[in-house]
Amino acid sequence: MAGPLEFAPAIAALPFVSFVIALFFGRYMPKKGALAGITATGGSLLLAVWTYFAVMGNGEPHTEHLHTLVSVAEPFSLELGILIDQLSALMLLIVTLISFLVFVFSLGYMNDEGETGLPRYYAGLSLFSFSMLSFVMASNLFMAFMFFELVGLCSYLLIGFWFREDAPPSAAKKAFIVTRFGDYFFLIGVVGILATFGTSAFIGTGGTESFPALAEHALTGSADHVHTFGFDPQTWFTILALLVLGGVMGKSAQFPLHTWLPDAMEGPTPVSALIHAATMVAAGVYLVARMYGFYALSPTALAIIAFVGGFTALFAATMGVVKREIKQVLAYSTISQYGYMMLALGAGGYVAGVFHLTTHAVFKALLFLGAGAVIVAMHHDEDMWKMGGLKNELPVTYYTFLAGSLALAGIIPFSGFWSKDEVLYEALRLGLNDPVFMAAYAMGLIAVFFTGFYTFRMVFLTFHGEPRTNIAESPHQYGWNMKAPLVVLGALAVVVGLINMAPLAKLTGMDLTYLHHWFEHGGELLTVEHYHHLLTEVSGVHHVESSTGLMLGSGALSLGLALAGVAVAHVLYNVPSPEEHTDKLGSIKTVLFNNYYQDEYQVWLAEGLTANVARAANTFDQGVIDGAVNGVSSVSLFAGERVRKVQTGVVTNYAALLTAGLVVLLVAMGLLGGWF
Amino acid sequence: MIAAKYYLLLSAAVFCIGLFGILTRRNALIFLMSIELMLNAANINLVAFSAQHGNLSGQVFSLFTMALAAAEVAVGIGIILVLYRNFDDVDVTTATTMRW
Amino acid sequence: MTDPVSAALGLGGYQPLVPALLLGVTALLVLLVDTIWPNEQSNTLLATVTIAGSLASLLVAGAQLFLSPEAATLFDGQLIVDGMSLFFTVIFTSVTALVALASHDYIAERPNQGEYYALVVLAATGMTLLASANSLVTAFVSLELASLPSYALVAYLKDNRGSAEGSLKYLLIGGLSSAVFLYGISLVYAVTGTLKLTEIATVLDAGIDGSLTGVLGIGIVMILGGVAFKTASVPFHFWAPEAYEGAPAPIAGFLSSASKAAGFVLAFRVFLTAFPTSAVAGVDWVLAFEVLALITMTLGTFAAATQEEVKRMLAYSSIAHAGYALIALGALTGAADRLLVGAGMLHLLVYGFMNTGAFLFIALAEQWGIGRRFEDFNGLAKEAPVACTAMSLFLVSLAGLPFGGGFVSKYFLLLGTVLSSSYLLAAALIVNSALSVYIYARVIKAMWIEDPVPGRTIEEYPTGLYAAVVVAAVVTVLLLPGLALFTDPAQLASNALF
Repeated sequence: MAGPLEFAPAIAALPFVSFVIALFFGRYMPKKGALAGITATGGSLLLAVWTYFAVMGNGEPHTEHLHTLVSVAEPFSLELGILIDQLSALMLLIVTLISFLVFVFSLGYMNDEGETGLPRYYAGLSLFSFSMLSFVMASNLFMAFMFFELVGLCSYLLIGFWFREDAPPSAAKKAFIVTRFGDYFFLIGVVGILATFGTSAFIGTGGTESFPALAEHALTGSADHVHTFGFDPQTWFTILALLVLGGVMGKSAQFPLHTWLPDAMEGPTPVSALIHAATMVAAGVYLVARMYGFYALSPTALAIIAFVGGFTALFAATMGVVKREIKQVLAYSTISQYGYMMLALGAGGYVAGVFHLTTHAVFKALLFLGAGAVIVAMHHDEDMWKMGGLKNELPVTYYTFLAGSLALAGIIPFSGFWSKDEVLYEALRLGLNDPVFMAAYAMGLIAVFFTGFYTFRMVFLTFHGEPRTNIAESPHQYGWNMKAPLVVLGALAVVVGLINMAPLAKLTGMDLTYLHHWFEHGGELLTVEHYHHLLTEVSGVHHVESSTGLMLGSGALSLGLALAGVAVAHVLYNVPSPEEHTDKLGSIKTVLFNNYYQDEYQVWLAEGLTANVARAANTFDQGVIDGAVNGVSSVSLFAGERVRKVQTGVVTNYAALLTAGLVVLLVAMGLLGGWF
Repeated sequence: MIAAKYYLLLSAAVFCIGLFGILTRRNALIFLMSIELMLNAANINLVAFSAQHGNLSGQVFSLFTMALAAAEVAVGIGIILVLYRNFDDVDVTTATTMRW
Repeated sequence: MTDPVSAALGLGGYQPLVPALLLGVTALLVLLVDTIWPNEQSNTLLATVTIAGSLASLLVAGAQLFLSPEAATLFDGQLIVDGMSLFFTVIFTSVTALVALASHDYIAERPNQGEYYALVVLAATGMTLLASANSLVTAFVSLELASLPSYALVAYLKDNRGSAEGSLKYLLIGGLSSAVFLYGISLVYAVTGTLKLTEIATVLDAGIDGSLTGVLGIGIVMILGGVAFKTASVPFHFWAPEAYEGAPAPIAGFLSSASKAAGFVLAFRVFLTAFPTSAVAGVDWVLAFEVLALITMTLGTFAAATQEEVKRMLAYSSIAHAGYALIALGALTGAADRLLVGAGMLHLLVYGFMNTGAFLFIALAEQWGIGRRFEDFNGLAKEAPVACTAMSLFLVSLAGLPFGGGFVSKYFLLLGTVLSSSYLLAAALIVNSALSVYIYARVIKAMWIEDPVPGRTIEEYPTGLYAAVVVAAVVTVLLLPGLALFTDPAQLASNALF
C-alpha cells in the first residue's frame, strides 16, 4: 500500500530541495529563497500531519532500509534507514511546524528589514530543516550521529550569519567547538556501541535485534554476540551511555557544556527560535528518548542525567535573573527548561520528558519570535531597560508573548504548567525512594520560583510601565508575516498542554492523559510500558505509588512557587518606572535592600543572596568553564611554540637529532627485545 | 677465512666514521663524502656476507649501490653549486633562512 | 593477468608492468620533445605529454586493479604487481597528473621546463616501481630513483635562497637516511643471506641463531629509519618543513603526497611481507611504529599550531598526517590488521588529493604574489571565491570533518585502533584531530571572514592551476560518499596483501 508512510523520506527531502534552490537560484528569486523554503516546509508539515495520523491508525512502527554504507560482515555494517514510530512522528510534527512558522516569520524579520545575503540564510535554514528531520527519522545511532553533526554545522553557519560583525563569528565558533567537544565523546560512544553490539539500530528488523534489546538480554541472561571488552556488562553499558550523553549535553546545552547557547543568540532571532530553542537543542533530549531502552538499563546513567538536569535547571534560572537583554533571558531560560527535560528522563518520566519537550518547543519558539518582533520594533536594540510600555503599541505581540510567558512560568492552565508539573511529579515520586533524585527534584522545584520571576521581570520590563526611550514610545510596526506565526503559536501555547492533563485526570477520574496513551502503542520494545518494565525489573528503579494527594500537592507546590515568583516580579517591576520604584522600595526597607538599588543588576533579594549566587554562577561560568577551554588552547599553543624550536634551521643539528633518535630507538628496542 | 664478525666490526667502524664526519664537518662536500663512506660500509657487509652465504646477490647489489652513490653525488654536486650561488659558501650551517 | 591494452601491445610477460613502463616512456618522450624543440614555447606540449602519460598509466593501473586482482611476480620475484602496488600506482599517477597540470602555469615563465617535467615523471616511475618492489634491492634502487629527482626538483627555483636551502637539507638528510637504510639492508642480508622479501620471511620463520637477533634487530630498525625518512616521520622528518617550504609549491604537493605514499607502500610491503610479527619475536617493530606514530602526529600538530606561514603550516600538517597513516602499522595486534592496513591505504589515497590540492592552492597564491603569512590571505575569498572554496574543502577534509574523504579514512583508522584495543593511538588521533580543526580554521577564517588586504588585486586566473585545484577538490568531496559507500578497507587490504 502506498500509504503516507511510504512518503516519509519526502518530509526530509523537501527542505533539501529548497536548500539547493535557495543556494543556487535564491538570488534570482523575488523573496531570495524564502518562498521555496515556505513551500517545502509547508509540504513537510502536511506530510508530517498525514504521517502522524497514519501512525495513529496502524500503531505499528514503520521501518525502511535506505542504503547500506559499509557492509563489513565482520564485525558490523553501517546503514541508513528510517524509523517512524510514535516518538518520531510527534517530533516530526513539532519540527516541521516550527520550521514552517519560522520561515514565514523570516519574511518579516529578514526580508522586510532589507538584510543582505538572504539566499545564504534560507539555504542554511533549509539545510537545517533537512538535517534535523533526517536526524529525527534515523533508524540507527550511526545515522543519527551523522545528522547530529550536520545540524551542528547549520547552527554554526547560521549563528555566524552576520559574519562581518565581531561577535557572531566568535559566537559561532564557540558554539561549534563546545558542542564538538561533547560530540567527540558521542563519536567514541557510537564506535563503542558498534563494537559492542555489532549494530546501532534503534529497532530490531528482520531477524536482527536492536542494540537496547541486545543490552537487555546481556543483563538478563544470555550475553551472546555482545562484546564488553572485559567489563561487567552493567558497567560497560553505563560507560557507553555516558559517552553518548556527552554529545547530548553539548547539544542540549547542559551544564557544563551550556556556555555556547547564550552566545549563540548573536544569530538572527528566527534562527534562535528554530534552532536554539525549539529543535536543534532538543536533539540531545530526543536522542536520550530515542534510545531510552538503553538508558533505562543503567540506573547510574539515569541518576547522572537527572542530577545534571536538575542542577542545570536551577543554575541557568538564577543566571537568567540578572540579564539585561531580552534574548539573553530567553537563552538562559532555554538551558533551564532543557534541564527539566533531562530531569524527567533521568527520573524515569519518559512521557513527562517528551511532553515538556513538546510544550517547550511551542512556547519557547513563540517567545523567541515575540522577542524578535520586539527587537524589530525597537530597531534592533535588545536592551530591556530601553523598552517599557510596548503593550499598547504592539498588542498582538504583547498578548501572544504573555501567553508564552505564562506557559513558561508554569501557570495553570497554560501548557507549561501541565508538563512541568508532570516532570516534577515524576522526579518527586522517585525522590521519595532515593536521595539523589530528591536533590535533583529540589533543585528543579526551586528553579520554578526563579523561572516565574525572570519571566515576568522580562514581560514587565518590556511591555509594562512607561516607555523609557524615544524608540519605545513609537516603535517600528511590522506586517502580518510576523504576526501570523505569533498568533498560531500563541494559541497553541495555551492549549497544547491539554494533551496530557494528569492532575485533572486524577482528580476527576476522567481519561485525559492522551499523550501517555499515545506512547503505549508502537513497536513492542519502544513503548512506555516496556521502558517501565526495564526500569523496574532490570534496573531496580522504583517510583512510589501514585496517589491523588501527592499529585495535587506537588502541583500546588510548584504552582504556588511560580505564582510567588510572578508576584515578586509584579511588585518590583510592574510599575511605570521600575528603577524609581526599586529606589523607593530600597529607601523604605533599608535593612533588607541596603539602599543598593542603583540599577537593574541588584535584584530584590539583596546583594547577599540572589545577585551574589547569580554572579558567582556567572563568574564560575565565565571564569572556570571558559577559562578551562581557553587554558587548554593556550597550553597547546605554548607546547607548539616549544616543539617548533626543535627545528633550528641548521642541518647539522638535524643530523645529530636524527642520529640521537635512531640510537634511542635502537637502545630501547634492544632492551625490550633482549638483544644484548 | 676471516670470521664474519670482523667484517661486521669493520663495516660498523666505517659507518661510524662517516657518521662522525657528518656530525662534525660543516663543508657540504665533506658531508657528501661522509655519506659515501656510510654507503660503502654497507657495501663491505654485502660483499662479505655474499661470500659467507655463498650467493652472489649481495655482490651484485653492491654494484648497484655504487652506481646509485655516483648518481647521488652528481645530483648533490649540482645542489651544492646552487647553494654556493645563493649563499656564496658551501658551509651547510649558513643556509638557515627557514627554521622553526 | 591480461588487460586489453598490454595484450594489444604484445608485451608478453611484462604486461603487469605497463603502468611503470608507460611512465618511464613518458619521461623519455618529454626529454625527446625538449631536445627537438629546446625553447620555452614547448611548455604546453611538455605538460600535455606528461599529463597524457600519467593519465594513461593511471587508466591501465585502474583497469588492472578492477579486472584482475591476482598478484603477478616478475624477474624471478624481484618485482610483484598486486592490489597494493596498483592501488598506490593510482595514487602516484593521479598526483603526478594534477601536479603537471598545475605546473603548466607555475613554471610558464621559467627555464628548464623539459627537465622539470622529466624529473617529475621519473620520480613517479621510481615510486611506481617502489610499490612493486619485492626485494630489498629493487626497493633500494627504486627508492633512490624516486628520491634523486625529488632533490633536484626542490632546487628548481635556482635563484631562490629558500629553494636552494630546502634542497640542500633534503639532500643531506636524504643521503644520511639512505645510508642508514642501506646499512640496515646489509645487516638483514648478513643474517638471512637473501634479499627477497618472501625468502627473508621464510628464513626468519625457520628460526635464526639467537646470537643474531641483535644484528637482525639493528637491521630492521635501520630499515625503519629509511622508511621514516621517506614518510617524513619523527625523528627523520627534519628535512620536511624546509623542503616543502622552499620547494616550488606544486613540487611540495607532489613530495608531501606521492612521495609520502611511496614511503608507506615501502613500509607496508617490507614489514608485512618480510618481517611478519610472528617470525621476529625479539624485534617488536609494531611498538616502534606505535611510538613513532604518537610522536609524529603530536609533534606535527603542535608545531603546525604556531606557524605564521600557511605553506609551512601545511608542511607540519603533512608530518602530522604521516603520523595518522603510521597508525596502520602501529596498531597491528592481530585483531583488526586488515582493516587497519586498508584504512591506512585509503587515508593515503584521500591525502593524495586533499593535500596536493592544498599545496596547489598555495601555488596559486604564489603565482598571485600575495605573500605567505596567514594575514596575507585575509579576505581572499572575495577575489577568488572558487579557489578559496576548494581550499576550504581541502582543509576541512584534512581536519577530518565530514565534508571530504578525510573523514572516512580517519574514521576507519579510529575504528581500527579501537578494535585492536590501541586506545592510546585512538586518543592521540582524536586529540590531534581536534587541535587540527583549530589550525585549519585559521586559514579559512582569514580567507572568508577577515577584511581583504587593501590594495591587493588579482589580475590573472591561471586556467591550468585552477583546473587542477578544482579537480582535486571535486575528487576530495566525491571520495567522502565514494569511500563511505563503496569501499571496505579490510577487503581492500586483503586483496592487496594478505
